Amino acid sequence: MIERSMVEHAMVALGPLLERLLAGEFICAVSDESAFRHLEDEATREQIDTYLRPLNRRLAANPEGSVYFLAWRQLSDDAREQLSRQLGDTVNSLLPLLEWLQLVQEALGRDALIAPGDVLKPAEISARCEDNQSLRERLERLATDGFFGSQSEQLDAQIKQVFKRLREHGYLLQPHAERQVYLVTGKIDYLIDLVRFIRDEENLPVEEEGAATQEALL
Amino acid sequence: MIGADTHDPHALESRLVSTGAERLALLGKHAEALMAGYTRDEVPLAALSEAALRKLLAARILWRPDEQGGVKLAPKVRELIAEMLADESRRHVNADVAETLELLRSLVQSYREARDLGEHWRQEQHLLRLRQEVDDLNGRFADAIDSLWQRLNSDFGFVSRLNDKIRENDRAQKQIVRLLDGLALIDFDELIELVGSDGALRKLLISQLQQQLSQHYTGLREVQRRLIELMARFRQQQSRSRLVAGMAAFLREHPGFVPGNYARRSEVPALVNRATPLTAAAAPALDRHLDVKVLTELLHRLPAPPHKPQTVTAAGPAEAQEASLVAARQQALKQDVERFYLTVIDHDGEALSALAYLRASDMAWTDEIWLFQVIAEFQGLPRGEQCAFRLHQEESQASPFNHLRLIHDVHLQLALPA
Repeated sequence: MIERSMVEHAMVALGPLLERLLAGEFICAVSDESAFRHLEDEATREQIDTYLRPLNRRLAANPEGSVYFLAWRQLSDDAREQLSRQLGDTVNSLLPLLEWLQLVQEALGRDALIAPGDVLKPAEISARCEDNQSLRERLERLATDGFFGSQSEQLDAQIKQVFKRLREHGYLLQPHAERQVYLVTGKIDYLIDLVRFIRDEENLPVEEEGAATQEALL
Repeated sequence: MIGADTHDPHALESRLVSTGAERLALLGKHAEALMAGYTRDEVPLAALSEAALRKLLAARILWRPDEQGGVKLAPKVRELIAEMLADESRRHVNADVAETLELLRSLVQSYREARDLGEHWRQEQHLLRLRQEVDDLNGRFADAIDSLWQRLNSDFGFVSRLNDKIRENDRAQKQIVRLLDGLALIDFDELIELVGSDGALRKLLISQLQQQLSQHYTGLREVQRRLIELMARFRQQQSRSRLVAGMAAFLREHPGFVPGNYARRSEVPALVNRATPLTAAAAPALDRHLDVKVLTELLHRLPAPPHKPQTVTAAGPAEAQEASLVAARQQALKQDVERFYLTVIDHDGEALSALAYLRASDMAWTDEIWLFQVIAEFQGLPRGEQCAFRLHQEESQASPFNHLRLIHDVHLQLALPA
């Protein structure tokens, strides 16, 4: 009896987290550190799964376990239909997202992709694009792509729209509504994992490993 | 050597030895061309005569991977050179430690002799040197570890490209291996025997040194662990960039690419299975007495619900998008209410009825809209200014069966400081 009430008590504390998960959010160490710590505990994950059972949902994670989300427990025809549509949307948004990742990497002069926890400032990217015609053109093409859907011809408005869409899709987080500073979330990990998965499943000729000779020397 | 060969009774062995010696000599004779091949992948043929090349190929020191390609070092030879070079750099650090150990041994010897001869001053001098040498040895390890930590903590910030970081990390890891090898050279069993029963030596060369070295050892292992972790991260970053660049290039080249429908498989892959969002909706319910009270209070606190969107955003810039007629009316209403507020201020703490003010004026607003705007204006004031007014609502219960209250009028007065 006591044990049961303790479990109930714990579930009440997890209420806000459950609500976010049910709403389709991805939970990572950047988006909600304390919730993420809870989710790393197996007992908590089991409790949540038990709770979600009547809703035909369960907790799922990407392979590295850096981001959690909800999956269907039983796959009905309706669920499969929904997943097909969702997959189609994801595949359609893949190229603009990957090109954006590359654009940011180049604009910031880095040789690694942005990663969860990285800080992005639209003003910084805007300044870099202003100085570089090729980046400017690429951003223009990207921003007016259907996924980002900018209608503007102004660079700043385009960047604003791109950041807005990325925030809506959960790839970026804006900690203070009035400040133009964004954090990269763990959903980026999910995107990369999905890309790797599609590459493997479809046997696409896309390399990932470093030059073999270099590895051999180590 | 050759002279010995001719006297060898076993002809076979002698032939073996002479062939081997000849071939080893080939290595020495063409050492520079071979080393050029080691560093540049292919052996520069300009440096070799036709005959020399033939001999090197026959000796399987060189080989031609394919007919058209250049000549390369045989893999075994490449390994041999790599082994020799690695040992060279390893010997270098070990030699430092080995040399120090040698020095320590001879100093202990001199110290002993001085003690046995009763030459206290010389004995002290030797002990001092010993102490300096031990400190020096310690310092060398401590400095090396310190520099490793600095490089590690700055994420190898002194180089900017990921490839350089990977190379630097690799170099640092090799340095750790050499330092660990150096530590391994110090044999405490031998030192214990060396110092014998002398207390001062024991303290310096055994207890003190052992403690310091074990700290270095732990430190080195820790840096090593962190370097390996960091290397894994570097490699992961590198592979992610490549994956994204490769996939983007592929999708650009194949605009019509559609992957299989993973959702239709019997086993849906984990990454693809993402449930539809579900909103945990809730609406006010009046079936519990306790809640009714709370809800009523909430209702009272609401600033004029039916007009809320208009009144709150009345002065906002988003207004421009609304139909201009509505916007103009809204603006006029707001200005009239503001004038009412100014009149209240002029009345120095005397309460004014909003409806009485409306009636006295020639304004055409209906009572309801007027009251809503007066209340909304009050709610919309910054907290500091809100304190300057007192708003009293004249209200009554709509019916005995519920808690709905009707507002008949509001009185506004300036809250004068007591």
